[in-house]
Amino acid sequence: MEEETKQVGRRTFLSKLAGLAGAFGIGAGLDSQPAQAQGSVVNPNAPKTGTPVVPVENTRHSGWPSQMVINETAPKWNPRAMPKPGDKIHEFNIEITVEKIEILPMEEHHFYTFNKTMPGPEIRVKEGDWVKVNLTNKTHDFHTIHWHGMYVPCEMDGVPLGTQYPVGYNQKFTYLWRAQPAGTHFYHCHNMTNMHIQAGLYGSLIVEPAEMDIVQQTFPYEREYTLVLSEVDTDFLREQMNAMLAMGVTMDAMNGSSKLMSKMSGKMMGWFTSKEEFEKAVRGGWTPPYHRSRTGPPMRVEPNFFFINGRPYPMTEHMHITRGENIRVRLINAGILLHNMHLHGHDFWHVCVDGAPLASPVRMNTVPVFPGSTADIIIQGTNPGGWHFHDHSDISLMNNGMSPGGMMTMLMYEDAEAAGFKFKEIIATDS
Amino acid sequence: MKQNRTGVALLALTAALLPAMAHGQAQKSPIPEQPSIAPQIELDGTGIGTLQLSSPRTTLSNGVRSSNSRINLSDSALLLGVSQQLSGKTGVGSFVVGLTSTESNRSPSGTDAFLHQLYLNFQSRKLDAAIGRTDTGTRLVDFPTIRGDDLNEFVNVLNPFSDGSNVQEHRYSNQATVILHSSLRSSLNLHAQNLITTTPSTVGQGGINSYGIAYQYQELDALAALKKVPLWGAGFERRTLGSGEGGASNVLYGGLVYNIAPDPVDRIDLRLQDYYAFGNDTRAFGSVTDTFRADGNTIALGLRYLHSPFGVPGYQVSLTAGYKTYDKVRHADTFGLALTGVKRLGSGFDLVLQYQYQNRQSAYAAAYSGVKDEHSIQIGFVFNFTNTFNKHLGPRRSLLNLQHQYLPD
Repeated sequence: MEEETKQVGRRTFLSKLAGLAGAFGIGAGLDSQPAQAQGSVVNPNAPKTGTPVVPVENTRHSGWPSQMVINETAPKWNPRAMPKPGDKIHEFNIEITVEKIEILPMEEHHFYTFNKTMPGPEIRVKEGDWVKVNLTNKTHDFHTIHWHGMYVPCEMDGVPLGTQYPVGYNQKFTYLWRAQPAGTHFYHCHNMTNMHIQAGLYGSLIVEPAEMDIVQQTFPYEREYTLVLSEVDTDFLREQMNAMLAMGVTMDAMNGSSKLMSKMSGKMMGWFTSKEEFEKAVRGGWTPPYHRSRTGPPMRVEPNFFFINGRPYPMTEHMHITRGENIRVRLINAGILLHNMHLHGHDFWHVCVDGAPLASPVRMNTVPVFPGSTADIIIQGTNPGGWHFHDHSDISLMNNGMSPGGMMTMLMYEDAEAAGFKFKEIIATDS
Repeated sequence: MKQNRTGVALLALTAALLPAMAHGQAQKSPIPEQPSIAPQIELDGTGIGTLQLSSPRTTLSNGVRSSNSRINLSDSALLLGVSQQLSGKTGVGSFVVGLTSTESNRSPSGTDAFLHQLYLNFQSRKLDAAIGRTDTGTRLVDFPTIRGDDLNEFVNVLNPFSDGSNVQEHRYSNQATVILHSSLRSSLNLHAQNLITTTPSTVGQGGINSYGIAYQYQELDALAALKKVPLWGAGFERRTLGSGEGGASNVLYGGLVYNIAPDPVDRIDLRLQDYYAFGNDTRAFGSVTDTFRADGNTIALGLRYLHSPFGVPGYQVSLTAGYKTYDKVRHADTFGLALTGVKRLGSGFDLVLQYQYQNRQSAYAAAYSGVKDEHSIQIGFVFNFTNTFNKHLGPRRSLLNLQHQYLPD
């Protein structure tokens, strides 16, 4: 994503404070360039080119800190503080639109997107830097951005009707927060979360440690991959998006008339200012939208496509490695199902959960990644070939019920042929 | 041992016969191998039951007003539709079959079942092609009466080949239709129809006896209550009556829905439709069929108030009125009106009440058993539902397709 980085100087300090105040309010219009998709293959925190990769056999006893720090969950910086002179502010513009995305050849569906990509662009900053995000909503649905796992001030948490009003059509909202804690995180829309994440409103958020990166120090690596896991029920999504957009189009048309706006009471939306008011409305005859007389049987969510970075196999991107190399893989489960990611032919080190280093790396070949959770693993180049890396909950290995497909990619050794292994991948869409 | 052999032989025979029996349960597909995948199945239905009290008065010498009562079940319907996506995402193929109940003089009970929908349909973004029995190509505006055939003589372009015993013959026809779409809002309908023929002189004729063209504009459903004119259209139809029947009858027609108070909560709208028939030389009414053929003008108007507290329909009050006059037949004017109230008791389930009146001048009344005027009142329930199984196709005019690029599902 194209970002604008600024140092706060004495001259601009006061205006930044004003901007922060605006951000904590209803948001403000900004005219920076739209953000764009950003890859995550090369770790900018890696040793400079030429730094020798530590041989695999020397990494087994590396001095990984095993002591628990009792107050480690406390923020390093007061989340409610303002930027100070000399602080670095990364500014991003994010626009939400409806796009037609081809997830497989000729398999197109409508999705909501951050900056026209699914997942949204990766945000990668250093711990302690400030992040300013100018969100613009160009759809007729409501949206917010929730910074999952971050110690943000409450007003910036992105929970509609909880910490802010949802952002409507053509409205803007500015988020400002300090990046902490370090680690692998993600962001997503928090309005009708189940549907909006299925619709594509999620993206990775990587906060690099301000000081020593214990993972880098223990398992030196130059390349890393971010794999965002998710799934979608395309029929549920189409029905829900159509219903919400239809309601939004009606509401937005009513917005043009003061007479009609006066009829948009909370009961039309199902919004109330207190539990007591809600209870009074129901007991007074208002029928809530979940009542069987309005809903009938519940609409079940049965995902039929399973994604790694917004695409199912065989359209997923490969990971690459060479013999003797460590690569870091950041796994983010933005979806609603548990995904047990299994690597063929290798064990790997599970080093972080939810961005935080484990008390000790755990050796395994299948790592569970819970919904809303992240897991960092280190794969070591020890067994040349072309290896499958996939969710072992095999229901996720299908495209619309047909296997193979879904949540699978390949770990490809770039020097496999030199090691005597010739591999030609066969693209199978029906086993 | 012998018994065992008999058992084995029976098993073998059964095994040989079962596949044949299975094939025999349905008609053969043109390419019998893998005729279809599991399609999307849509089941729709409408149940209408009313207690009807009528008070007709005749033009006969005694001219007294009589009264009668009946349980009216007409216009109830059940529809089954199946659809599937076609190869290469070229579009969607559908098959629909449906029955509706009808008042029929031919049935001893007064109620009969009528096959009103049976068609196959190909849909893509720009093209809609259908062949079979479905709504006539001249249907344009729906009026807010309990049944679609209430005030039938005013709200539907009438079928000049019908003997008048089944009102549904004016509303449904056998046809081949091509609809060309532009932006999924505008459509041009080109059709050739076999209007159902039941008059003694035409009964049994199944050929094309009507063809025409119609244009229609339809706004997003989400804006139907907010745009001033969410629907309008016009068309031309030529019905090929023979010279012995007065000659071909042409119809020019048009209509619209106009929101007087565009408001999703307190909506007031006006529906207007007019059709003008010309070219036929019928100058006197020898039968009710002549009233469907003769040149003349028919106008229908509906005024409706719909109250939808918090956006959910609550009740509706409407007045629908129609007036018909003939160019070449004197004393044949007629007018009718319906005052309708609907109270929604639950989603799709309504309590309905309707008062209806029709007045006929003498020449027109003569064609209708001499009934000069008639009052009727109905009270009852309506249940309307739609349910989709194996859902995997979206409607073509979905908001996503209308606003965010079309997807052929």
